[in-house]
Amino acid sequence: MTVQAMAEALRLTPLCVPEPDREVTGGYTGDLLSWVMGNAQSGDAWITIMSNDNVIAVAVLTDVACVILSEGVTLDERLLALAEKKSVNVFSTELSSFAVGAKAAALL
Amino acid sequence: MKELSLNILDIAKNSVKAKAKLIEIVIDEKDGWRRLTIRDDGCGMPPEMVATVTDPFTTSRTTRPVGMGLPLLKLAAEQTGGTLSVKSSQGDDHGTEVTATFAMDHLDCVPVGDYAGTMVTLIQGSPEIDFSFTYRREGGEINLETAQMREILGDVPLDTPEVLAWVYKSLTAPEQP
Repeated sequence: MTVQAMAEALRLTPLCVPEPDREVTGGYTGDLLSWVMGNAQSGDAWITIMSNDNVIAVAVLTDVACVILSEGVTLDERLLALAEKKSVNVFSTELSSFAVGAKAAALL
Repeated sequence: MKELSLNILDIAKNSVKAKAKLIEIVIDEKDGWRRLTIRDDGCGMPPEMVATVTDPFTTSRTTRPVGMGLPLLKLAAEQTGGTLSVKSSQGDDHGTEVTATFAMDHLDCVPVGDYAGTMVTLIQGSPEIDFSFTYRREGGEINLETAQMREILGDVPLDTPEVLAWVYKSLTAPEQP
């Protein structure tokens, strides 16, 4: 399933989608960035409540398919520009990490 | 990182890479604040690198586009209301000093964790480098100086299993080593 298709199915708000056709092959939920760095897999949809430069860096390092910011978290202008520059797909949702994770898992 | 000890390991490895001869690690807990200082006499960094070193997209490694050691330590400190600062010089008194402060009563303040394991790992990985470790907190101070150990041990290398076991035990013993 593509990032775009998943976002539509989960009704995610697109914040920055430079690679809409990227394939989502799995999922990971976590906010402790060092832990995510060691455990998220390439192609995962990564669900987190964190929003800072390091989130974009970890997304690049782990090569996740997209970042889903849960619980209403968004990116400011500067972080949006950074995500765009680094080609990181970022979405937002009002759902909790648990709820959006459960819905995403049902899709995959 | 789940424990500050893992951050310490990460940052001290930078000092090893900078060809330090002495790496000093101090954890000082006072008035609700934990201050971590990692100081080395390595090659230091140019000012333009110091300015960007907490940017996750900067690294001294060529294998990946981002370096996460200092950015993650900065995040860990700032999450508690603390700060991170980096000072470095390439002159006569060359070296780098990283200082991070943490509000200990903040919910997101990670525990110090297995500092003894971190010191054993560091000494084992670089037995030729001298390490100075001090953990000062209410109720006492723990101190380890590999330079002193060397004087006593003579030709016995610091990465001898018995020596490393002693290091671990002395750092975790309730009394002073």
